Amino acid sequence: MEKIKQNPIVKKIGFNRVVLCCALILLYVVLCVTTGGKFFGMARIMSALNYAYFLGFLSLGVTFVIATGGIDFSIGPVMFCCALVSGYCFVAHGVPMGLAFVISILVGLAFGCFSGYLVAYWSVPSFITSMAGMNIAKGIASVFTKTQSVSWPQSSQDGGWFRVIVKAGAIPTGLILFLAAAVVCAIILNKTTAGRYILSLGSNKEAVRLSGVNTKKWEMLAFVICGVLCGISALFYVAAYTTVQPGYGDNYNNEAIAGCVMGGTSMAGGLASISGTVIGVFIIALLQEGILALNFDKNFQLIITGVIVIVAVYSDVVARRRKN
Amino acid sequence: MADNTVKTTVKKESFINKMGGQKFIVLLVAIALFLVFCAASPGYRKTTTFITILDFSYYIILMGIGVTFPLITAGVDLSIGTGMVCYALVGGWLIRFHDCPTGIAMLVCVLFGMAIGVLNGFLVAIMELPPFLATLCTCMITRGIGSVIVGGFGIPWPTAGADNAWYRNIFKLTDGSTIIPIGLVWMIVIVVIMSFVLNHTKIGRYTIAIGSNKEATRLSGVNVRFYHILAYVICGFFAGAASISYAAVVPTVQPGTGAGFELEAIGGAIIGGVSMSGGVGSVAGTFAGVFVIVLLKTGLPFVGLTANWQQIITGLVLIGAVLIDIIKTKREQIK
Amino acid sequence: MGEVILTMKEIDKSFPGVHALDHVNLEVRKGEVHALMGENGAGKSTLMKVLTGIYSKDSGTITFEGKEVDFHSAKEAQDAGIVIVHQELNMLGHLTVAQNIFIGREFKKGLRIDDKKMNEEAKKLFDRMNIDIDPKETMSKLTVGKQQMCEIAKAISHDAKVIVFDEPSAALTETEIDELFKIIRDLREKDLGIVYISHRMDEIKVITDRVTVMRDGSYVGTLITKDSTKDDIINMMVGRVIYEDPKTESMVPEDAPVVLKVEHLKAGHMVNDVSFELHRGEILGFSGLMGAGRTETARAIFGADQIESGDIYVNGKKVTIKSPSDAVANGIGYLSEDRKRYGIVVDKTVAENTTMACMENFMNGIFIDKKKEREIAQKYVDDLATKTPSVDQLVVNLSGGNQQKVVIAKWLTRNSDILIFDEPTRGIDVGAKSEIYKLMNQLAADGKAIIMISSEMTEILRMSDRIVVMCEGKKTGEIGIAEATQENIMNMATREIE
Repeated sequence: MEKIKQNPIVKKIGFNRVVLCCALILLYVVLCVTTGGKFFGMARIMSALNYAYFLGFLSLGVTFVIATGGIDFSIGPVMFCCALVSGYCFVAHGVPMGLAFVISILVGLAFGCFSGYLVAYWSVPSFITSMAGMNIAKGIASVFTKTQSVSWPQSSQDGGWFRVIVKAGAIPTGLILFLAAAVVCAIILNKTTAGRYILSLGSNKEAVRLSGVNTKKWEMLAFVICGVLCGISALFYVAAYTTVQPGYGDNYNNEAIAGCVMGGTSMAGGLASISGTVIGVFIIALLQEGILALNFDKNFQLIITGVIVIVAVYSDVVARRRKN
Repeated sequence: MADNTVKTTVKKESFINKMGGQKFIVLLVAIALFLVFCAASPGYRKTTTFITILDFSYYIILMGIGVTFPLITAGVDLSIGTGMVCYALVGGWLIRFHDCPTGIAMLVCVLFGMAIGVLNGFLVAIMELPPFLATLCTCMITRGIGSVIVGGFGIPWPTAGADNAWYRNIFKLTDGSTIIPIGLVWMIVIVVIMSFVLNHTKIGRYTIAIGSNKEATRLSGVNVRFYHILAYVICGFFAGAASISYAAVVPTVQPGTGAGFELEAIGGAIIGGVSMSGGVGSVAGTFAGVFVIVLLKTGLPFVGLTANWQQIITGLVLIGAVLIDIIKTKREQIK
Repeated sequence: MGEVILTMKEIDKSFPGVHALDHVNLEVRKGEVHALMGENGAGKSTLMKVLTGIYSKDSGTITFEGKEVDFHSAKEAQDAGIVIVHQELNMLGHLTVAQNIFIGREFKKGLRIDDKKMNEEAKKLFDRMNIDIDPKETMSKLTVGKQQMCEIAKAISHDAKVIVFDEPSAALTETEIDELFKIIRDLREKDLGIVYISHRMDEIKVITDRVTVMRDGSYVGTLITKDSTKDDIINMMVGRVIYEDPKTESMVPEDAPVVLKVEHLKAGHMVNDVSFELHRGEILGFSGLMGAGRTETARAIFGADQIESGDIYVNGKKVTIKSPSDAVANGIGYLSEDRKRYGIVVDKTVAENTTMACMENFMNGIFIDKKKEREIAQKYVDDLATKTPSVDQLVVNLSGGNQQKVVIAKWLTRNSDILIFDEPTRGIDVGAKSEIYKLMNQLAADGKAIIMISSEMTEILRMSDRIVVMCEGKKTGEIGIAEATQENIMNMATREIE
């Protein structure tokens, strides 16, 4: 074990990520075997990827918030709210598709600003803003759409071009865009002032403040980034699944958080890995697809992700305790 | 000398503080809200409306009383909403498909709730996970369990008039055309009992002590872990009890629902003066706070706002209540 | 004074790298108040922690009531009858006074806690102590003094035979101290043994019967209070050691401009009307005993805590400092005494910590210029001789002295002209200490102005060009290095408050 850990290649990639990759491959193999080969092939993988895109954007967003030591479990309903409000604008008010995109992102941004401001400037616990944000998002979506579900246009219909964000002919554009977004996030987190301060304040807020840094601004920014990514996530959701219904979306909270903490982002803040989050999201998406393929109740997913989060966070708690 | 001090302290206390401080203000707010809705809408001024309001308040009151305990330990329990639906599903499923006597099913509901409470307590007190995260997970887990056990379909509990429907009489006695909302009496009894538990027993004393200063409590030789877990078990017990009253008022219990109820209960508790930073709170305050939420929930449709507005407003009210708590704490620290 | 109740003999205790207690003796008799004195870090608290079972001793014996004892927890010591009243209070603010006193051993009446009886018992306790506190009052509503009384009442209710008071008067007002003394005298009458830790010389004279003095972890001697003078005790505390190369005269040129001027600064109850000037190239020592308000003054100047009133001038211009970013913008840098909490971000690298205060200088467009960042970090690693395998090392893996150098590098990178060193060598071993000293002298010679808060007399006398002495939130003296001696500094630091 120690030997593997010391291997230069493993060290470079990170032991945790190597384990995750192995887990991902193992999960795929197990699913192929247990489904009698049904799982083998592009169709299932494409379906799993569709799930991974929107979940991935959520997970990337929440990674920033968790890096500050906070939490946001309003992301699922906020994502639905974005999809509903912008979709309703397109369907009922005839705004152009391009503008609908912008609206979706702006709605996400507004939610990010709302919770970010309360957490950073008023020290409201982030789980409270999450809880409130979750209900407000559901409420706004329902009020705005008059509790009607919204169907985004099919590829053949007017405005249906937007589906190219997921798949253009044989090219899996969704995968490309998601990985590109992950790269951008990784750059923000590791190469810019914003990322540096977000990670540092998650690790020791007071030390960063005493270095003369405006910690409140950067803490709020993490929530804003998360909100924007919720808005983008919404577009990938509808591009894959067409219809959104008000009042739902909270199932995705835990899955996004699970992907994030599994990838090695610490709930205590200060430590975040975008590549870990990406692999984590793929595992969750594959799991979801596997549960469907095995004809299990889809709600097993809820139980499994719940357990995953508990285990991942507990191992982080133990690791931290050992360090001190 | 001693007499003197007592007198001066009495003098210093304002009328509002004498009546119970925030509790009293919240009660006034609740009454005012009620009067406003009554004045605004003729439909609201009917006995049947009152009965409906009460029907839909019991489960939130029960959850609110329960969650007051983890909140006072400076924790939280987010699993009560989906948990409650899960217990109701399992109970209904036992009655429908396994010919289980209603009494046993009710017992199962409560025991299931307590079991999840033990799990929450274990995660928080022994494994030292952040309370909101641990209970967020159990929130999802209970939702999953509920759906998996019953198979994804809505479960109605026995309807009024059917066999096994006696459990409905716990909350509402129907005698011909007159309906007696006896549930309210039970609620008041429970508030009295739990106030006693919180203020006059070791359980309550140590719950407050843990929220106030856990380390100092431990150093005083208190079995902190036990009492910390117990707070979550109490919460689970009430979520279980709430599931029965919930099953009595909804036509069918739907799997996958329940998210958002915890917000109403927690919001009610915080409005009622429970402090997010722990150590402060009262059962009577929670009771009054929950009523504010319930009145908003039932009243808004009568003044022309759809029920969805209530979600938004509940969210904002929660933030408002927490902000008040934060500002209050800050001011005390400056003092 | 009665018979001996507690004897600690030849107590020895080492921590990694520190010999905290070197064969220390202490003897307490029934019906005596025994003062335990010594400078900060002399080992008083450690000795008391060994006594109450919080630390285990390496060697030596503790005899209590004629039997040798060895406690393993505070609770064991408490059950045996040795109770400590801590400086920072262990109270439950939301519970009432009586509930606090009896926490963990409530009276019961069936299921119910018998609050009435607890209130009565508490009242009786207070009556016996002749103090007037309402047992039903909520703890957090009491003044600090009253809270302390409650802690004492709790100690007494444990049937204590020996009570240790750890700087009980630090947060009390004059009247409260009088009340405290009344209680202590009363306890003495009742034949309890009392250990009283304090820095206040006047109190020692008033209340105690004997004084044991400690210095640098070792036992110096025991005096009968009424037969000794304040000077006797101070001499024992500071010893007759010749400190290595003390500064004899100020290195600051006469005409050095004033870079920082603080006038009538007030912030909280720990900073009360503090004024001073700091010149270019000067090291201004801030001396005083624990709790004198020096750190609080520094934090206020740096904007870490709110300033209530007072003016701050940087280079002759009046500035408003509301947050650390304002202070940093004005060229002030602060090196906290608690590096791990306030100085460094432990799980970030040396390079990342170095540029923490001025990221904007290390940007290439929107990206961090990691090359430039590592270059500057490397430069300071070389200049300051920081021992680290590379600038990519996490600072958590560095020793205390090297962590301190990283914090210094942070402020040098920011080009701060005014540096506040709060206990610059705390937790740093001897070798690294002299390096830090050399560095500070170099910085001063380069024209930086330095405020150095230090509780070590050696450090103050060796480094400062001028010394400000504080006591209880007030500036009690200012003295040039040429005139400074340990005695006159200690005198100002323990000055009786009028």
